[in-house]
Amino acid sequence: MTALSDLEARAAASRPAFGEHAHILCDNLVRIYKTEGVEVVALQGLDLLIEKGELIAIVGASGSGKSTLLNVLSGLDVPTAGLARVAGMDLLSMTARDRLRYRRSVVGFIWQQTARNLLPYLTGRENVLLPMRLAGRRAQRQRADELLELLGVADCAGRRPGELSGGQQQRVAIAVALANGPEVILADEPTGELDSDTSEEVFGALRQANRELGVTAVIVTHDPLVSEQVDRTVGIRDGRTSSETLRRTSEDGDVIAEEYAVLDRVGRLQLPRDFMNALEMERRVRLELERDHIGVWPATPGEENND
Amino acid sequence: MNAWRLILVHRGAAGVLALLALTASLLVAGLPRSFEQAYDEALTVRLDEVSAQQTDLTVSLRPNMMDDQIASPAGFADLDADWRGNLPPLLRTAVQAGGTSHFSAKTYGTPVMGRIGSPAKARQYVDIAWVSGIEDRVRYVAGRPPGPPRTLAEVPGHPELKNIPYFEIGLVADAEQRMALPIGTKVLLANSYTVVAEVVGLFEPVDPEDRFWEHNEGIRQVLERRLPDDNLEYYATGLVPAEGLRFLDSRRELTYNWVLGLNPASVNARNAPTLIEEIEDFRRYVTSQGGQESYGPARLGNARFDLVTGLDPLLTGYLTELRSAQTLVFLIIGGLVVVAIGVIALAVHLFSERMRGSLGLARARGASLAQVTATGTAATALAAVPGALAGYGLSFLIPGPVTPVVHLAPLALALAAVGFAAVRLALAHRRPLTDSRADLVAAKPSPRRVAAEVLVIVLALAGAYALRSRGLSTDVAERGADPFLALVPAALTLAGALITLRCYPLPLRLVLRLAARRRGAVPFLGVTLAARSRGATSLPVLILLPALAVSVFGALVSGAIGETQRLAAWQHVGAQARVERAAEIPADVAAKVAALPGVTAVVPAAKGTVQLATGGQTATVLAIDLDAYRSLVAGSPLAVPAAPTGPGIPALVSKSFVVYPSFEIGWHTRMKINNVGDVTELPGLAYPGNLIVMPYEGPKLAGLRTYTNMLLISGNVGREALEAAVGLEDAVVETFDESLGRISSAPLTGTITTGFTVVTVAMGGYALIAVVLALVIGAADRSKTLSFLRTLGLSQRQARLLTVLEVAPLIVLTSLAGLAIGLGLPAALGPGLDLSAYAGIAVTDFPLTFTTPALLAAGLAAVSILGALAHATAGRRMTTAIRVGESS
Repeated sequence: MTALSDLEARAAASRPAFGEHAHILCDNLVRIYKTEGVEVVALQGLDLLIEKGELIAIVGASGSGKSTLLNVLSGLDVPTAGLARVAGMDLLSMTARDRLRYRRSVVGFIWQQTARNLLPYLTGRENVLLPMRLAGRRAQRQRADELLELLGVADCAGRRPGELSGGQQQRVAIAVALANGPEVILADEPTGELDSDTSEEVFGALRQANRELGVTAVIVTHDPLVSEQVDRTVGIRDGRTSSETLRRTSEDGDVIAEEYAVLDRVGRLQLPRDFMNALEMERRVRLELERDHIGVWPATPGEENND
Repeated sequence: MNAWRLILVHRGAAGVLALLALTASLLVAGLPRSFEQAYDEALTVRLDEVSAQQTDLTVSLRPNMMDDQIASPAGFADLDADWRGNLPPLLRTAVQAGGTSHFSAKTYGTPVMGRIGSPAKARQYVDIAWVSGIEDRVRYVAGRPPGPPRTLAEVPGHPELKNIPYFEIGLVADAEQRMALPIGTKVLLANSYTVVAEVVGLFEPVDPEDRFWEHNEGIRQVLERRLPDDNLEYYATGLVPAEGLRFLDSRRELTYNWVLGLNPASVNARNAPTLIEEIEDFRRYVTSQGGQESYGPARLGNARFDLVTGLDPLLTGYLTELRSAQTLVFLIIGGLVVVAIGVIALAVHLFSERMRGSLGLARARGASLAQVTATGTAATALAAVPGALAGYGLSFLIPGPVTPVVHLAPLALALAAVGFAAVRLALAHRRPLTDSRADLVAAKPSPRRVAAEVLVIVLALAGAYALRSRGLSTDVAERGADPFLALVPAALTLAGALITLRCYPLPLRLVLRLAARRRGAVPFLGVTLAARSRGATSLPVLILLPALAVSVFGALVSGAIGETQRLAAWQHVGAQARVERAAEIPADVAAKVAALPGVTAVVPAAKGTVQLATGGQTATVLAIDLDAYRSLVAGSPLAVPAAPTGPGIPALVSKSFVVYPSFEIGWHTRMKINNVGDVTELPGLAYPGNLIVMPYEGPKLAGLRTYTNMLLISGNVGREALEAAVGLEDAVVETFDESLGRISSAPLTGTITTGFTVVTVAMGGYALIAVVLALVIGAADRSKTLSFLRTLGLSQRQARLLTVLEVAPLIVLTSLAGLAIGLGLPAALGPGLDLSAYAGIAVTDFPLTFTTPALLAAGLAAVSILGALAHATAGRRMTTAIRVGESS
């Protein structure tokens, strides 16, 4: 017989949960947009773990759910189901007040459109000071100037966005995102509207913020220039994480990139589409457990007929 | 985030908002002022039109006992002070000390029974009067002011008269000639208790126009009265000094009057109801004075005081007229307020759309909803409140009394603007990211909203039913206006707007089907866009519709008033001009009139008053060629019965004579009339009542000749020309134009008509602004669509056409709905609206004239569509390249 107290104790006992120590945790995250009977499932059970201080890129085709994920992480959008936790804060159970505090001090973000990040009628410095003011803090000019200095746009402090180049605008935008000393910085295609040289500068600025301030940075991007320079690239397909590419620098200085498929907690795996096409895999495959790996074979025609 | 900065950045939209707040507040604060002013002016005109005797309060007393007699001016002054002291509070401020105020003792109807030293003249009356303060109002042009009276021991030639009072009197200078009363004339007055009066001075009034004289007409001039035998009686009043009061005793026909002069400036539309009540109170007070048991201030034993004034019926009549004016004004100002609030809401919408980017970014960057809403609302307030204040301030330049609505209306406008901004911003920024999936279809209306709309429609219909059955101004005097019923027209309009909004996609579908079959893509695209447009486009409907409904309603009311005024003028004159005389009009005069330039036809007629041989009733008899008269007034609203035909002297008679197949009357001679039909009235020619209409040749058929004492004239001829041609002093000349002018120049009528015009123009302006604002609000979306279509090969001209087509269906449908509601409003208000005060006669029905309303609707629709075209032409170029990947 199990006493009720035992059950209670067991329930209360902390088990090491999935990604307990991760800085950003998404577990089986679902986001459904529903209007007038039409449902769009933007995220369909997405899992993601990001450690503190990591710099990762999220890539995926248009409509794969990258932007939705970023909106959820930035607290602008509320997921339908699942678990999303950033810096220990549960994004599903947050009250409006918590959400506001979260946006004020935990995350900072950068949009793709350079013009949308900054108020056109404020100078660079004023734009950086704006989040501080909104959070009710005393405006720290010195901190604003330091941030602009750090991102290499100290000379833009007194100029309005209209007088800045696209790259400068995005770097000021990064400074704005960093204004309240967030733990996470989220960027939605920050280099999408920029040429490659400028992209380099902006990405450099992001990496610098990541390294020098220890901020966790998540960048949604199409830009190979960006995705190939981060330690980890997460691919999203159809609202799920499908692959991860890890990069490490070998002893002789070469960057070695290794692509992994993502295995979720219940054992689901997405095979890359070109692999499936190459072997004409359809509907079902044959798996065989070997000593150190699992083999995947296309179903043989004879077996098909038995169906 | 700084509200002022937002204003500076979006100064265009803020400026539009401020300007609209200014004009709206000026209109809604200024129009009531000018209306109130017009009401007051109308009252002043009314008070001026009638004599001071009607407007002033006169306490009168006919002393008939010795006890009642007041022998000194001090006695009068005491009572005067008492009357004044006991006036109710408002009346006390309305009654002035100077002006026409005075007190007097006058005899009346005192015949001159003879003269001393000269032959007597018949039919003369000389009264004796003492009037306070008259010394300053007359100037003696001959002789001297009268001295104190004395007693005359004997009268030469009249041995029966002994120790009788002897007055020295001053007469108006006119009396010397007209009554043969030069200085030195001594007259014996009254048949009993005879007195002698000697004319010692002749005066003329210092200021004949002084309203003081309206109380003392008999002193200012010699009055005459025509007796039945055509002789004239003459009346004059001789002034005596205060000492004469002792001799003016109760044995004479004597009246004492205390005139409490009214200051017309102190009476206005707002205090008139109270004044009426206070006059009644004062009348009670006055009549309760005196009498045996009274120890009241009058202290006159048997005195029966009376309050004589026409002020309260005058004010009551005025208030009746005013009430229907106020109902109309309430409707048009209410409509204007609704439209103004709608346009301001639209401007607030524009402004908040312009701020959306900044506020949305701030919200995403960590601004709380309260911060965002407060900043946006503050910015709106910074634009709207100074505008409304400026309009409010400017409204003080418009002359007129300040009523609560003058303060409340701009306040309501400002509050509406700020409140709308707060609600809109709060809703728009409730979630930090609302535009995340703009590609999804629009949400269906919530059941709650549908229920609310149905409720509004049901309430409006129920209200209309109640209004029809009870009337808008019924019992207003007793119970005050019913606010629910007063809101019905606005509610009906709103209900119409809601139905239009919900239903306009249905007719569009038909149009769409037609457009889809045609080859050109532009009509199809335009109508499709129109059918899809939501949100900002619904506000212009809510503005255009009431604007048009009120304008059409106004046109109908003006039309009804105008038509009825014309009818009243026709009924008053009976033709385009009429010359009438008691005696006969000579044939050469008739010929002269017919020869006047402009005169197209003249119909002679004879009119008289006769007594029926049987029954002894009196009747008006008319001898006129009705066929000629009918063709004379062809095209006018007058209906002329068919001419009587038959043996003998055929005649049409009133209902009361229909029972007699034939009867005799005495007119010029004794004639026998054959009743061949009935007639109810011939407006302008005879008063309704007992009427007999015979052919013009009637008297001739009776063996005499034709008579003429009335000429009915058609054609364009002025009064002066007619008077000159007629050349008879006692002839009455009436013309249609003059009569119409007199009816339509009544001050309240002018106010109503001007009010409707001003409001219609303002509404038209607002409708135009509304359409342009709606287009500007949707400009970003539209330019995106257009720039996409332009990459597919749409020309600039087609783009313009597309913009116009996008708004045109809504405007046209709204115009039709507004036209329908405007045409239906008079029916809905039905008996609640009494316009008879403006037309001279009862306005029986609203003729549904379609021309003006249809023109108004078409004009407003055209103006709005032109606004759209102007926006499409002058607006920003729509060729901006599509930026790939842009999501907002």
